[in-house]
Amino acid sequence: MEARLQAVMPHDDSGSVRVLLFAALRDQAGWEEKRMPLAGDGPQTALQLWMALELGALPAAVRVAVNQQLVDPDQQLHAGDELAFLPPFTGG
Amino acid sequence: MLVTNSPFCLPSPVAEMGDAKAQRSERPKAVQVEIHSEPFSPWQRLESCCDRFAASAVFIGRVRPESAQGTHLDALELTHYPGMCERRIDEDAERLRQLHGAGAVLVLHRVGRLSPGEVIVLVVVQADRRGPAQRCCNELLEVLKHDAPFWKREWCGDQGAWLSGNTPL
Repeated sequence: MEARLQAVMPHDDSGSVRVLLFAALRDQAGWEEKRMPLAGDGPQTALQLWMALELGALPAAVRVAVNQQLVDPDQQLHAGDELAFLPPFTGG
Repeated sequence: MLVTNSPFCLPSPVAEMGDAKAQRSERPKAVQVEIHSEPFSPWQRLESCCDRFAASAVFIGRVRPESAQGTHLDALELTHYPGMCERRIDEDAERLRQLHGAGAVLVLHRVGRLSPGEVIVLVVVQADRRGPAQRCCNELLEVLKHDAPFWKREWCGDQGAWLSGNTPL
């Protein structure tokens, strides 16, 4: 049986999360990647962190990925996670 | 240029020719996924990929000459989420290959700035019979459109517009 690729494993990175935006979200925000702290009483879920970015309400069509796996916006975040907000896919 | 130099990809034929021993021991992978930032020839790939099974289903997708609004299109920009994109295609292709009883799957997908007429995607599914090959190819193409993190932006002059959905089946 062929080996399948493993999901990206999170790693602790000084209590922060790496946030990625793509496509229209990237243009609207004016940035594509930034680090956000998870220290103390700061944002702990993907949705809470989105709100901390001050980009407005999370659009219903936007999907959330943590460590390159699609998750619910209420997914708990951990230091070192890679958090991505993904507009509707239009490939093929 | 191949964006993803990953375990999804076989060694190149040129490299294999230089190592006959490795060539004999290397079995083609059942699923092969490649993301390219430069144009590729689907015909060259078809010549070398489709002789393992009796049936081959092929889909080649190209850039339309007009935008979603019906105006002249200058270019189509394609971006992806590196890593997650290849992984999801690989996992879905393997799932569908097993579901339909197909033998081998090849997916090549472009990223970057493409002109009208350029090839965006090549999907090849091989099987022992036409049914599994065609069904797997059709379903995999829909997965590519809806479940793989690619995004298209249409350029008309200096105006770019991200697409928010796919064309109807």
